[in-house]
Amino acid sequence: MSVLALSGVSKEYAGGVLALDDVSLSIEPGEDLAIVGPSGSGKSTLLHLMGTLDRPSSGTVELEGRDTALMGDDELSRIRGQRLGFVFQQSHLAERLGAVDNVATGLLYARVPRPQRRQRAEEALERVGLGHRRDHRPHQLSGGERQRVGIARALVNRPALVLADEPTGALDQATGRQILDLFRELHADGTTLALITHDPAVAAGFSRRVEIRDGRVRR
Amino acid sequence: MIRDALGLGWLGVTARPARAALSALGIALGIATLVLVTAIPASGRADLDRRLTALGTDVLQAQGSGVTDEPVELPTAAAAMVRRIGPVEESSAVANLNARVLRTDLADPNDTAGVSALAATPDLLSAVHGSVASGVFLSAATERLPAVVLGHAAADWLGITSVDPAHAPEIRVGSAWFTVVGVLGPMPLTPELEQAVFVGWDAARRALGFDGHPTVVYLRAVESQIQPVRSVLPATLDPATPGLVSVSRPSDVLAAKRAAQGTFSGLFFGLAGVALLVGGIGVANTMIVSVLERRREIGLRRALGATRGDVRLQFLTEAALLSLLGGVGGLVGGLAGSLGYAALRGWPFVLQLPAVGAGLAGALLVGVLAGLYPAVRAARLSPTEALSAV
Repeated sequence: MSVLALSGVSKEYAGGVLALDDVSLSIEPGEDLAIVGPSGSGKSTLLHLMGTLDRPSSGTVELEGRDTALMGDDELSRIRGQRLGFVFQQSHLAERLGAVDNVATGLLYARVPRPQRRQRAEEALERVGLGHRRDHRPHQLSGGERQRVGIARALVNRPALVLADEPTGALDQATGRQILDLFRELHADGTTLALITHDPAVAAGFSRRVEIRDGRVRR
Repeated sequence: MIRDALGLGWLGVTARPARAALSALGIALGIATLVLVTAIPASGRADLDRRLTALGTDVLQAQGSGVTDEPVELPTAAAAMVRRIGPVEESSAVANLNARVLRTDLADPNDTAGVSALAATPDLLSAVHGSVASGVFLSAATERLPAVVLGHAAADWLGITSVDPAHAPEIRVGSAWFTVVGVLGPMPLTPELEQAVFVGWDAARRALGFDGHPTVVYLRAVESQIQPVRSVLPATLDPATPGLVSVSRPSDVLAAKRAAQGTFSGLFFGLAGVALLVGGIGVANTMIVSVLERRREIGLRRALGATRGDVRLQFLTEAALLSLLGGVGGLVGGLAGSLGYAALRGWPFVLQLPAVGAGLAGALLVGVLAGLYPAVRAARLSPTEALSAV
């Protein structure tokens, strides 16, 4: 069973802008996928639809075999919290919380009891190589470290799929490479990964690449 | 769950301390006003209660009143007649002598400073809870002599505040000279007695041509029987025309003042309500700005699995905490203010627990109401819209 399956998905915005046009795409467990496309190609829209943050105008999005069109907002929210992990270009960390508490926020809405949240957050921080920074505030961390905290937050609920939107976009090249190395390690450990980028060099390291242009998938 | 919600709310409130303090200030002012307008009159009432208890509420006074200029005459034996009413414990009569009271011969005869001359009997003090500040009151021995006792205020005006028996001053009452033998203590319930000088009944007859008819009768009765005594008093004093005898209870003036203490608080309650309303608008305004600023945070939380309800709860909790914070601040300020005011006036401080509870509940309610619209707005934000906000 696919982790995620999009079939014939289109997204039209108010005003008649067709951001996605009949996109079909499926992701199998254990895959690492890069979606490449220039800005304006519709890749952010695609990520939003894959992450159930938005609904398609037509077509179906199935998450682990279940049609998301049949789920209400609350159920979709719950699934996002339990089965998906998001990494954004900006790490969006809470300035006044330490690294471990920022990571634990990833478990807050899955209703995980507080003591377990902290313990699992510490494990996730270890996994991204930040075990020694658990009580540091975001402003005490480097850009790469902040992004690692963001990745740990996406991993902490052991998601079926990690969706990353330009995760290296705000980092310098060397730091970006380290983050990509981290993604590769996570994939090697069995994490299913879909990454969106405009940079073919970033996509080159992934075993499967999908190119998107003008709202359509090109192979 | 609740702890998480409160923790998130607290984090939101304390993220911008200055802004939180300013928007909580409105609520604080409202609650402080609310506390002040309940605590200060309550303290004032407690003070009047205390004074009433100390002064005694068991005294009645009766005097003739008339539709014509000449008030009806009370019988010469009025005091004795009144004492025969069962619950009456003590009674005494005074008579206005309509005589000028002057300090010296050289004083302006018209400058009597409002001091009146009364004929009195030795039992007057015990009937009106009076006391002697200096010297002695009239006694069976001095009643016939040209002796005079000064009321507290009258003594003040005449400039004789203490009596030295060796050099007793004399004052002129009407056409005769009287030796001052005593000065009375304050009698706040009967200011007309404070402003008078007292000469003996017989001395007044002899020296000033007094006809023996009293003008006012004072009595002290068993407290629980005051009303029945009050109703039979006119008929006892003047069986023929009881309607022409008016009876009053000196403590009623204070009691009326006590009732009046509560009357202007309605206006101030309105004021407190307006302050709370304005405070609530301030909180709502702050929360709306906060929602706009934190769209990306909202988007991230939605991505992390927060439902619309979770987002709504977060902002509602934040507004409620903000308002409650103002409420606690206002409570502390209001209590300190009313404590200070009561101390300044020498009043006992009365803590109005229901008002404190109502104040806090009110602040919480205002916070929830003020947070409702911003919270709903935050929850309605679509995740993608929120995430792509700049």
